[in-house]
Amino acid sequence: MRTAILIPMLLTAMLLGGCAGQHDPRTGGFFGGVAGLGSGGYKDRVAEREARLEELRATQRELDAEKGQLETQKSAVQALVDKDQARVKAMQAEIAALDKKTKSLAAQDGADAQRVADLQKRVADLKGKMNRQASSLDDLEGSGLGDADMDLRRKQLEKQRDALRKEYDLLMKMQMELAQ
Amino acid sequence: MRVASFWMLAAMLALMTPAGAQCAPLEEIRRILLREALVPPNHADLEKLDEAGLPAFLERFDPYARYFPAREYQSPVTGREAWIGIGAELIARGEGIYLSVFRGGAADTAGVPDRSRLLAVDGKAVAGLDAQAVAALLRGEEDTLVRLTLARPGGADFDVRVAREAFKPLDVEPVPPGDRQVLRVREFVGGMTRPALQATIDFLARKGAGRDGLLIIDLRDAGGGDLYEAFDMAGMFLPAGTLLGTIQDRGEMARAVRAPSGEKYSMPLALIVGPDTASSAEIFAGALHRQGRALLVGRRTHGKCSSQTDARLSDGSVLRYTNRDVLLPDGSSCSGAGLVPDREVSEAELMDLAGLVRVVDSILAGK
Repeated sequence: MRTAILIPMLLTAMLLGGCAGQHDPRTGGFFGGVAGLGSGGYKDRVAEREARLEELRATQRELDAEKGQLETQKSAVQALVDKDQARVKAMQAEIAALDKKTKSLAAQDGADAQRVADLQKRVADLKGKMNRQASSLDDLEGSGLGDADMDLRRKQLEKQRDALRKEYDLLMKMQMELAQ
Repeated sequence: MRVASFWMLAAMLALMTPAGAQCAPLEEIRRILLREALVPPNHADLEKLDEAGLPAFLERFDPYARYFPAREYQSPVTGREAWIGIGAELIARGEGIYLSVFRGGAADTAGVPDRSRLLAVDGKAVAGLDAQAVAALLRGEEDTLVRLTLARPGGADFDVRVAREAFKPLDVEPVPPGDRQVLRVREFVGGMTRPALQATIDFLARKGAGRDGLLIIDLRDAGGGDLYEAFDMAGMFLPAGTLLGTIQDRGEMARAVRAPSGEKYSMPLALIVGPDTASSAEIFAGALHRQGRALLVGRRTHGKCSSQTDARLSDGSVLRYTNRDVLLPDGSSCSGAGLVPDREVSEAELMDLAGLVRVVDSILAGK
């Protein structure tokens, strides 16, 4: 008698437990599984996994796009640095030529010794500063600064190079005046 | 303080040089000092000058004069090269040693706050050591680690490991608080610092800082540099033709220096100064302050408005001596007196940049 009552009660409890189970197999146990199979939850799980997969794919696409953008930015900055390096090299060559001319000027008779000495000193200073520019550009990537700081440093170097160009033009003029 | 330490080190180096190792061209030195020094030395003292007595003589005659054997000389106006270290300078203040952290350096990257007090290096307490001894503890091979025990400004002690690495600082550094235009200038390098300042102001403007917004220049660590660069930088903020100062040569020769034409900046300007603000930095600050263009906040500056020159001698050695005095636009000199800020703060307040910015804000707001 007792067994006859107990078994239907147990079955009822199992069915009710199945109804209350969640569709997510990660949170459910046996009852959850029963509920999933019995109530169309399997299809839901497949749909959910597909949705999650799609989310992951979208994130990956975003990361790829960001990486591509960063690489484009990096190569654009590198192109600018290359350009800067080429300019600095050209200026170094010009300053070396000016240095040579200034030294030959010193050997000429009748040249204003003090002015020649001043010019030589300024050319030597300029040469040192251009060398510093060149090494700063070489170090730009390995400087340990963050990207924004690297950009700022490049801007500082650019302005400094413009100032050095003006100094070069002035010294060139002085050299020509002294040579006449 | 740093200046004093520097001269102490210079004197120690001079004493450590073995007798006879130097061979200073004394006759040349006598001739240059007699002819060109701002205040010529006494003839009798010059006649008695010998090799061994040269450092002491120069120190007596001119506190900024110095003799450099050829191999020891490095031009003060060529700017900072890359160096290997923790990316911070030491500031000796009272009994304490503090770190002035360079933006982007190893200490900055490791999260060391600027103006942290250094308590120990690799477990060795720095109390009682001078800045040179502490610098020696910090020095080491590239890519090695050093453990620093620090006290945050107004906060608790903490330990941090910092890698020693090659580092080249920015010529002008934007510094926190980052929402304001606060730029740190540490030295005035001929032909380099002015364009770096321009580039930094323009860079920040492109990043959204208002071009007419308040600009604060932190000169607390600026010990000097090129005189003309200081004038050129002051000229960026003043109309062309404005008197920046007067250079007084030997005798009665005086030459007025005026603001050149070129790109000008009209934003409100505040300068933060302190006892380490010296020489060209004082001339820059003095020119702008006396022309009513900049507010000075901080503590009295070092007080050196003279200018030195480095004369290359025939053997490649170099003699540095004072050859000019610089007068500010009102005709005064800061030598010996320093510049007195519009708002003087305490020693502790001088270490707190965010607090100093608040002081500037409150003055400008008329509080």
